[in-house]
Amino acid sequence: MIQDIIINGLINGSIYALLAIGFSLIFGVARLVNIAHTAFYMACAYLIHVGFSYWGLSMPLAIVLSIGLTTIIGLICYRLFIKPIREYEAAVLIATIALGMVFQEVMLIAFKGHMMGVPPVATGFVIVGGVKVANQHLLVLGVAVLTLLATWFLLMKTRVGLAIRCTAQDSEIANLMGMNVDREIMIAVIVSVVLAGVAGAIVVPLRVIDPHMWLPPLIMMLAVVVLGGLGSVKGSFVASYILGFTEAAVAIGVPMGSFLKGSVALSIMIIVLLIRPEGLFGIAFEEER
Amino acid sequence: MLLTVTGLTVVYDRAMIINDLSMKVDAGELVSLVGPNGAGKSTTLRAITGLVAWEKEVLRKTTGGDVTLKGAVVFDGERIENVPAHKIVKKGLIHCPERRRPFRELTVLENLMAGAYLLKDKTEIQSNLEKVYRLFPVLHSRAGQVSGTLSGGEQQMLAIGRSLMFRPRLLCIDEPSTGLAPIMRSEVFNKIEEIRGLGITVLLIEQEVSTVFKMASRNYVLSSGKIIAEGPGADLLADEVIRKTYLGL
Repeated sequence: MIQDIIINGLINGSIYALLAIGFSLIFGVARLVNIAHTAFYMACAYLIHVGFSYWGLSMPLAIVLSIGLTTIIGLICYRLFIKPIREYEAAVLIATIALGMVFQEVMLIAFKGHMMGVPPVATGFVIVGGVKVANQHLLVLGVAVLTLLATWFLLMKTRVGLAIRCTAQDSEIANLMGMNVDREIMIAVIVSVVLAGVAGAIVVPLRVIDPHMWLPPLIMMLAVVVLGGLGSVKGSFVASYILGFTEAAVAIGVPMGSFLKGSVALSIMIIVLLIRPEGLFGIAFEEER
Repeated sequence: MLLTVTGLTVVYDRAMIINDLSMKVDAGELVSLVGPNGAGKSTTLRAITGLVAWEKEVLRKTTGGDVTLKGAVVFDGERIENVPAHKIVKKGLIHCPERRRPFRELTVLENLMAGAYLLKDKTEIQSNLEKVYRLFPVLHSRAGQVSGTLSGGEQQMLAIGRSLMFRPRLLCIDEPSTGLAPIMRSEVFNKIEEIRGLGITVLLIEQEVSTVFKMASRNYVLSSGKIIAEGPGADLLADEVIRKTYLGL
């Protein structure tokens, strides 16, 4: 049972981390609360379904194309709907909620709300520590960990990453260092949507695709972000695994626990907001200028 | 002339912050811009180094407030009043901001590297880093420390060091002594003298008039967005009206 919890926790945690880090990044760099973040995750899942089932593309090709297309859609959405109101946080919040709902309705019109699925890339299973683990789950875990490592490397070890982190902390000073803030924000948007796309791509064979699939991960992601501290990438990472493991422990350890999954996340969110509203690694906002 | 400002006017919505300001800085000089709180010293600097232009660009096509910038800023023969800050830096006009503003969660070394963002040549970055460490040994010993945990004086050293990481030709320092202990203040002023000794032109914005007047070759006195006097420190101090009304000495 412990092994079950560990493996499920790792997989859930990694998926939450992919989503929450993207969300945190975009919030940190541009102060954008992007509620539509998981809508891109959904868009990518649908695109893979279209590519694979309708157009008959091979699975890897469908995945890569879908992530690319999702990124382009994300950039277009940013340019058209978010950038003109970027200075107004409340307006951005409302606009992204609307954007998420537009995605949902478009999917509902295009695919009539049917539940759809995509076959797994890897079949079969292996025994890890006495537990049967589907190869698809291992693949999910591997891709997620690799993507997270790549993101860490990009942010911490490259010149672009330094510029993104500087912009996140003080965009005006970043500007004085010769960094083009508009460009850094664009890069952050791209990285964020790519991460959401990857999350959608690795989850697609495990979940049912339907127009409301963006809502449950949205709630989990917000719980993760509140626990980790808004805008803190490190906090999002740690909190993702805390929530992933807690969820797995409740689902497996408590009788009928899988019905409690959602409420666990929300309870953690409420407790954090009551006790430590800035989260584990929250940044205290300083008045700029 | 390295920097020539003619008829600079900055209006935020309807509030006129800078009114028809003209000033000049020649290569090799240390020029000061002094004046009481709210006189518009920082806004003048922000207009020169492109932060106002950047703000204008960010706010354009949005529903935000309105910024008007008139007049001419010429740096090294080029008009720059409508060029945003990140492009002006490339010309060597560097702005060391008010209240130091290090990237608080980044280490000292990362902050310095951010200053060298525009440099691609690793050897040049390394040699600039050594220069900065020679000027501010304390930064070397704290290279790995998160900059938010530095003392005020050390943060000021870091801010100045960061501005020196990219080939500065004109270094504009905004209120470096504010909020520092007296010993730290004189240390900072000594370092600014040293920087000038390295052949870097300095435009210094300060409230600590008595020290600055001894250092600067020329001074501009700003009040309510207008230059009301200019000249060497001794001349300004000799003028009773300026001394009492604007400098409070």
